[in-house]
Amino acid sequence: MVIIGENIHVIAGVVNQAIKVRDSKPIQDLAKSQVQAEADYLDLNLGPLTKNPEETIRWVINTVQQVTDLPLSLDTMNPVAMEAGLPLCNKRPLINSASGKKDSKERMLPLAKKYNCDVVVSVINDRGMPPDVEMKTESIMDTVAHANELGIPSEDMWVDPIVLPVSTAGEGQCFAQASLEFIKIIAEVLPGIKSTVGLSNISNGAPNELRPLLNRTYLVMLQRYGLYSAIADPLDKEIMSLIQGEMTDVVSLIYRIMDGEVIDLSSLSQKEIDYVKTARVLTGEVLYSDAWLD
Amino acid sequence: MTKEVDNTEYKAPIEFNTGVTNVIALGKPEGETVRIGGENILPFHFFDDGSWPNPPVFALQILDREPPEDLPNFLHEPFKDAVHDPAKWAKKVEEFDYVDAIQLYLLSTDPADQDSPPEKAAEVTRRVAETTSLPLIIYGSGDPDKDAKVLPAVCEAVDGMNYLIGPVQKENYEVLGKAILAHGLFASVQTPMDINLLKEVNVKLGHFFPLERIVIDPLSPALGYGIEYTYSLMERIKQLGEIIKDKMTQMPMIADFATEVWRSKQAGENEEQGILWEAMTSLSLLTAGANILTHRHLKSMKLVKEMYESEVKQWQK
Repeated sequence: MVIIGENIHVIAGVVNQAIKVRDSKPIQDLAKSQVQAEADYLDLNLGPLTKNPEETIRWVINTVQQVTDLPLSLDTMNPVAMEAGLPLCNKRPLINSASGKKDSKERMLPLAKKYNCDVVVSVINDRGMPPDVEMKTESIMDTVAHANELGIPSEDMWVDPIVLPVSTAGEGQCFAQASLEFIKIIAEVLPGIKSTVGLSNISNGAPNELRPLLNRTYLVMLQRYGLYSAIADPLDKEIMSLIQGEMTDVVSLIYRIMDGEVIDLSSLSQKEIDYVKTARVLTGEVLYSDAWLD
Repeated sequence: MTKEVDNTEYKAPIEFNTGVTNVIALGKPEGETVRIGGENILPFHFFDDGSWPNPPVFALQILDREPPEDLPNFLHEPFKDAVHDPAKWAKKVEEFDYVDAIQLYLLSTDPADQDSPPEKAAEVTRRVAETTSLPLIIYGSGDPDKDAKVLPAVCEAVDGMNYLIGPVQKENYEVLGKAILAHGLFASVQTPMDINLLKEVNVKLGHFFPLERIVIDPLSPALGYGIEYTYSLMERIKQLGEIIKDKMTQMPMIADFATEVWRSKQAGENEEQGILWEAMTSLSLLTAGANILTHRHLKSMKLVKEMYESEVKQWQK
């Protein structure tokens, strides 16, 4: 699985401040630590970039490329910034992201063709966020067909079902299922297509200390269904072990929960029990609450 | 090719759920008691395999102080000679035999009302409990900090009387849970229309408090003020408890709308409209699966209870 390191993120106070004062060190430190943790791409999440979009993105790209030659995922919804950044990338970059919205189809998607790079395409469209797997699939088929017409091959597109927090009252668990289903069927629906998710959003709103457990378990579930890549935290060593096949006992427990098996907890370690309980929440078998491990 | 017509007789499916709602008996040992819970069918699904053995409990709300000026006069007309004394008020309620229980709402303890002290609330509660043989549902102001001081004193005053005490909230469940348990009472656990939070508080409370002593209060707004959220939440609680057998939702439920209804502009406008406003709120949440319904107007209670007894009770099993 391709891991796109998520840690250079403008919402993080330290990153925001570093960009503001043009201080290279915090950003280069984050880049280096993710490289060391074996990330495959580095995501540069710069938000909407309302002020000095071109100059800012150029500075961030150059700053990061001084310490690594990993390919970059340029993460901004601002097409002006995106176009300023793409030519600077040393390796074939990833546009993160385009969608089925009119504006995005007209201004963001064509950049993938113009600069011959990969592009994340989300299921969002002008009607908003498609809630279930049918509507997500319908939306992505429209957008991918449009992109194909622009001359972007399916192999260059990484489709994103948009993962939403499982903790959202009433609907979160349905959303988690819908994104899983989407990943499960998408290779058949759109041959050659790649896929990705913004993994950490699954645990948004959950207690901070428990978030990694939701992220890891959900990633194992998605990987089983053929997920190609994830924007995730490579500094979480357990995430890396799980996807690299070093924790087969835990992985097989999660698979058994997905298959609806009833598992006797008495023979399991505390860590395994936590994974089982988390998988039960993510499959929708057990109602979510912040105290799901209790 | 001609299509074959399927002539086999249609048979409606009959559901059978294995999750059973906990049974709770409220009321002091020497007084009248009411039972709630025990159901394993969805509300009014008497055609399914299973039962809903205990009819809904209708509780009339009284206050620990004279009714505030902003409440319409007609609301307390039958009690106008008694409202200055909560104990007399409670005694008077017994004259209306369709009232199953009394909800004593400790309005005066609210910091936004008179901010009256815990000792006073305990004294009022003690006197009401001594006077009436009806089961009591005792509700604090809903201010979590103040309730954490008031309700433990109240619990002590009604030790061993099997009353229902609320609202227990996420901010004060530890203090209140201990007090309620120590005095052999029941907890009405309130979360603001959020199924995940509801489960969480029950899980945490359940670490030291028996789940069989919990009633779920999902927060009930009045008709026209978001009642549909509570309606679907109650439906979901029943489904999770009975079909999925989630132990954290297998509790009976209280629809505590009396305060909310009479806060609405529509209910206060005129008496007939007010009665119907409260009755429609009650009837809606009854069909969603509420086990206890709190009314403030006697006539709205009579209306809904008579409707239940004439139209539904015959099916009850």
